Amino acid sequence: MNFGRQVAEFCRRDLLTERRAGEVISIVTPFGAVALMSFPLAFGIDSALISRVGPAVFWVVVFLFTMQIALRHSAAERPHQRAVIALLGVDPFARLMGRTLAAAVLILVFMAVLFPAMILFYSPDLPEAWPLALVPGVLAGIGLAQVGTLAAEITAGLRTRTTLAPLIVAPLAVPLLIAGSQALESLASGGSILPWTVLVVATDLALAVIGAAIARPLEEASL
Amino acid sequence: MSKPTPWLRVLQLLALVAVAVGLAMALRAPVDAFQGEYSRIMHVHVPTSWLAFLAFGITALGSIVWRIRRHRRWDRLASASAELGVLFTAMSLATGSLWGGAVWGTYWDWADPRMATTALMFFVYLGYLALRRTTDDPETAASRSSLLGIIAVVQVPLVYFSVNLFRSLHQTQSIRPDGATMPTEMLVAMLANLAALTVLYVALLATRMWVMRREEAVALEPAAGTGVVPPRLEEVGDA
Repeated sequence: MNFGRQVAEFCRRDLLTERRAGEVISIVTPFGAVALMSFPLAFGIDSALISRVGPAVFWVVVFLFTMQIALRHSAAERPHQRAVIALLGVDPFARLMGRTLAAAVLILVFMAVLFPAMILFYSPDLPEAWPLALVPGVLAGIGLAQVGTLAAEITAGLRTRTTLAPLIVAPLAVPLLIAGSQALESLASGGSILPWTVLVVATDLALAVIGAAIARPLEEASL
Repeated sequence: MSKPTPWLRVLQLLALVAVAVGLAMALRAPVDAFQGEYSRIMHVHVPTSWLAFLAFGITALGSIVWRIRRHRRWDRLASASAELGVLFTAMSLATGSLWGGAVWGTYWDWADPRMATTALMFFVYLGYLALRRTTDDPETAASRSSLLGIIAVVQVPLVYFSVNLFRSLHQTQSIRPDGATMPTEMLVAMLANLAALTVLYVALLATRMWVMRREEAVALEPAAGTGVVPPRLEEVGDA
């Protein structure tokens, strides 16, 4: 089986497991929507303020819930599963990429559900060219999947995995949060999305290089 | 319990003397005409920032060598240096914030990329230390944390060059290859503090590595009560 097939198989396996478990669709996404609703309740009835902060709150919720998606219980492999995969001679980077792709698909679905919810709850004054912000937005979602999967792999099998991984992920993913949220701000003020797209592409590429470099040591460490 | 070696004692004493001399020089150095007495904070702030970078660099180096050689010594070096890096970063953030409150009129400014990136670096290394504490097996801790130690060091150049890359409140580097932007007396006091705090870093690093070695030795020794076997329920029932 070549590299591409291995990546596709891991992605397919994770998505099938998610379809059966329904962890992201039926638990994390509604919880994300509740989080999105809780901010206006805390801000009070200042509708101008709520409208202004809507896109930023959307990105904060995506940023925080990404970790829940990357660390979902249904995606956690048991030690014997990892041992079998390693013994089969599967390329560790293919495994990492496959899992990242699956996480990226789930994060993009999460974002696709939450964005209309944000427009509904916050009524933000979106610029006419707002669809352009989807480019850095989608790329930021992929980057969040990369950093979340890396943290999930580093903490695989540890007792405090679900609490520790977000501590590692959050500071490393900040460029993605900034790029995702500022792209829309930039369009609103008549600016360009190019600098933010470059930032998010550079971060995604750096994370991909790191993933390729440490995939094998990561596999050894988690066995 | 073994005692620290004589050279470690000498190093600790030397560090105390060096820090005392450095602080005395900082208090005697001339002050900036605009900042007044607050400029003395810089004699601690700048060296602690540099030492944080050095400490995280040593963590990455120890992590890389551990992955190649698999000797405990390198993991102890990486871990001890990360602890000190976190300590120096906290000192740098605290002194920078105090100075900012007095001179800029704000303790924290989100528009300043140097402050934001330094705080992020601090939290990533807190994560590194937390990762090490999640397992009792030193090999597992070393294996996982070495990867994070190598990844996380990427932030160091980002933090250092953030003042050149982005517009910010923070001034650019005062000491550059083409010369310093401060009077010689102030520069000498700052470099003296850098030397003193470097000696302190080396002394603390050596002490922490010695403590870690002792902890590992103690963990291997049989603990009191290890030989006591509680009676099993079947045995109690049989009696």
